[in-house]
Amino acid sequence: MSTNLALAKRPRQKDHPLWFLIPALVVLVVFFFVPTLFNFVYAFTDWSSFKSAINFAGIDNFTSLFTNGTLLNSLKVTLVYAVLVAVFQNAFGLGLALLLERDTRINRAVRVAFFVPVIMSALAVGYIFQALLKPDGALNAILGWVSGAEVSIPWLGDTTWTIVVVAIVHSWKWMGLSMLIYLAGLKTISDDVLEAGRLDGAGRWTMFRSIRFPLLAPAVTFNVATALLGSMNGFDIVQATTEGGPGGTTELLNIFIFRTFGQGLFAQATTMSLVLFLAVTILAFPVIRYLRKREDVL
Amino acid sequence: MKKPFRHVLALAAAGALTLSACSDPGADSGSDGPVDWPAQDADLSGTTLTIWAAQNSNTVPESVIAGFEDLTGAEVEVVTIPDPYEQGVQTKVATGDMPDLAFWQPTASQLTALNARQNLQSLDGAPWLDSYKPELRDITGLLDDTRYATLITTPAVEGVYYNKEVFAANGITETPTDWDSFVALARDLKTDGVTPFHEMAADRWGTQWWVQVQLADAAADGLWDRVNTGEEQFTDPTILGAIETYQGLIDEGLFNEDIKTATFEDQGAALLAGDAAMVVQVNSFFGQLQSLADTDELNQKIGFFPISPSGNTGTFIPDQSNALVAFKTGDADQESAARQLLSYWMGEGYGDFVNAQSTVSLQSGVETPADVPEALLSVSDSLADSVGSMQASAIANPDLYIYLADMIQGTKTPAEVAEATQSQFAELAKAQGAEGF
Repeated sequence: MSTNLALAKRPRQKDHPLWFLIPALVVLVVFFFVPTLFNFVYAFTDWSSFKSAINFAGIDNFTSLFTNGTLLNSLKVTLVYAVLVAVFQNAFGLGLALLLERDTRINRAVRVAFFVPVIMSALAVGYIFQALLKPDGALNAILGWVSGAEVSIPWLGDTTWTIVVVAIVHSWKWMGLSMLIYLAGLKTISDDVLEAGRLDGAGRWTMFRSIRFPLLAPAVTFNVATALLGSMNGFDIVQATTEGGPGGTTELLNIFIFRTFGQGLFAQATTMSLVLFLAVTILAFPVIRYLRKREDVL
Repeated sequence: MKKPFRHVLALAAAGALTLSACSDPGADSGSDGPVDWPAQDADLSGTTLTIWAAQNSNTVPESVIAGFEDLTGAEVEVVTIPDPYEQGVQTKVATGDMPDLAFWQPTASQLTALNARQNLQSLDGAPWLDSYKPELRDITGLLDDTRYATLITTPAVEGVYYNKEVFAANGITETPTDWDSFVALARDLKTDGVTPFHEMAADRWGTQWWVQVQLADAAADGLWDRVNTGEEQFTDPTILGAIETYQGLIDEGLFNEDIKTATFEDQGAALLAGDAAMVVQVNSFFGQLQSLADTDELNQKIGFFPISPSGNTGTFIPDQSNALVAFKTGDADQESAARQLLSYWMGEGYGDFVNAQSTVSLQSGVETPADVPEALLSVSDSLADSVGSMQASAIANPDLYIYLADMIQGTKTPAEVAEATQSQFAELAKAQGAEGF
């Protein structure tokens, strides 16, 4: 702590002049603040591809969106998807981190292998899984070969379970990142604490439940928050695998926005993206506050 | 040190405000109406024309471009806009980016979507109009009596593609002459153990043809005009009834068992193999068949007949690869050169074009090449007395096909399909400023 205090007292501008911020700030303003501002402005207009004039339309877009059930359905689908992704991605990531915790040569190679999907294009991942999960795709062929009977499960064609399948694909793509963060978290746990636990006779499970998992709290905060809030903005994987089908059961808000935008209803699409922005914001604060509170044990 | 930072923020905020004060960048460009139609061979050295095309139409203009470049010295570039093409083009045009020419669906709804009055050159009085076969001249491309698009190939027709061998094996010698005999034929085939119809609900877009062919009589009677003014709705008995009939045929088991998961590719393969006897589809389906079999095999196996409630009226639906539009780019020379390219395409270049594409000719003076498959000739024959589809005649094109696919998956009832379509249609009509919405 003492070193931190010393740093804070040192005059800051000596090594970090504030104008160093300008390049990053310009990028942030142009590509983030301005679009967000536009998002607020255009949501209250009648901007469309059908005419050139853009007129103020009041809260017209909001009333018509909320009276039409599709938006609420898409919001619901988006929330379910986000929760599923948060659960799966963290379960997979934590499992992998625990499995590959020891720094052996094999573990290092395997960690790299599991990290590869993270840097792959999400659309490519989506199309690969779409091919694998087709009724006559590779997964069913493998299942058929193992079971000896012909299998033709429509993995992407079930109105109840497809959203789970797609959430697993999303989690598969990002689990390498969660794994990396959990690994880093595990590394920061002091050997003294673990040794003390062992001397007190704690078994592997007790060690994990009572010592290691609570001490992973910061990693959990980061992983859950990014998985949950990131997947609320999900689009690419779902678009590539199901396009929102079957029967609209995987139609995330972003897919609905894409469809509306494609119809030329630019203002309505903007309004929806404002709704999404607000939904993510409303969800983000309590979730992050709760997760940060868990870190108080540290 | 706090002050400069505040200045930066203030500057950024000011910048943002200035930007947000801009109006639609797609607004207002170019002059009004074409004044002259340059000769097809006028010299264009140093002029570069750009044509936007989709992934499935970007090779269509090859022969025309080669001929035109030789004749005039102009350079013509084809730029491929990735799929979904229509959305990509609409977005680009809305942000002020436009080519000289583009492939575009010549229907009222799609011309409206491109804000034709503002963005497109009028093609009224074009020199090639009189060379069209008379019945095709005014079939499409018009919005409020102004011509904005010109047809280059035969528009697609919604109708029934059938497997001739399956028909023959089941003793069917005549194709159905109206809807009732069509459905009766399907029931007979089912009794004989043949799957009568094939549908591809996983790819969704083909689902709407079944509803639209049932509306052919109503369309001839002005259905879409009434829908366009809000006088009649998708939820009224005519359209809702067609949706219910479709659902009824599916429930009756007249379709393939894997209807929920079948794709466009599956559909082509199934009809060709005789796993299903009939498919209600459009021309692009025949394109799919052509990728699976050669012309001789197709002539032997595949036939086409249009269907409507009371007879054999086809329902036409031009798509993006059938027509071209010319943009008002604001540069009079470019606009004139674009018109000149169209004159050449539909003039001296048309014979080569039709041969290079092996497609049916739209002009009385140009022969259709001999290697065009029979089914496509039947399609083009049905065009003359066909009626407009929803895409061709309605002012907006709602996602009816998605809602119908939802119905097949079991998440919407026919009434909900009609409701969702109507509310989206009203939303689009309102955005266009249509009266009655």
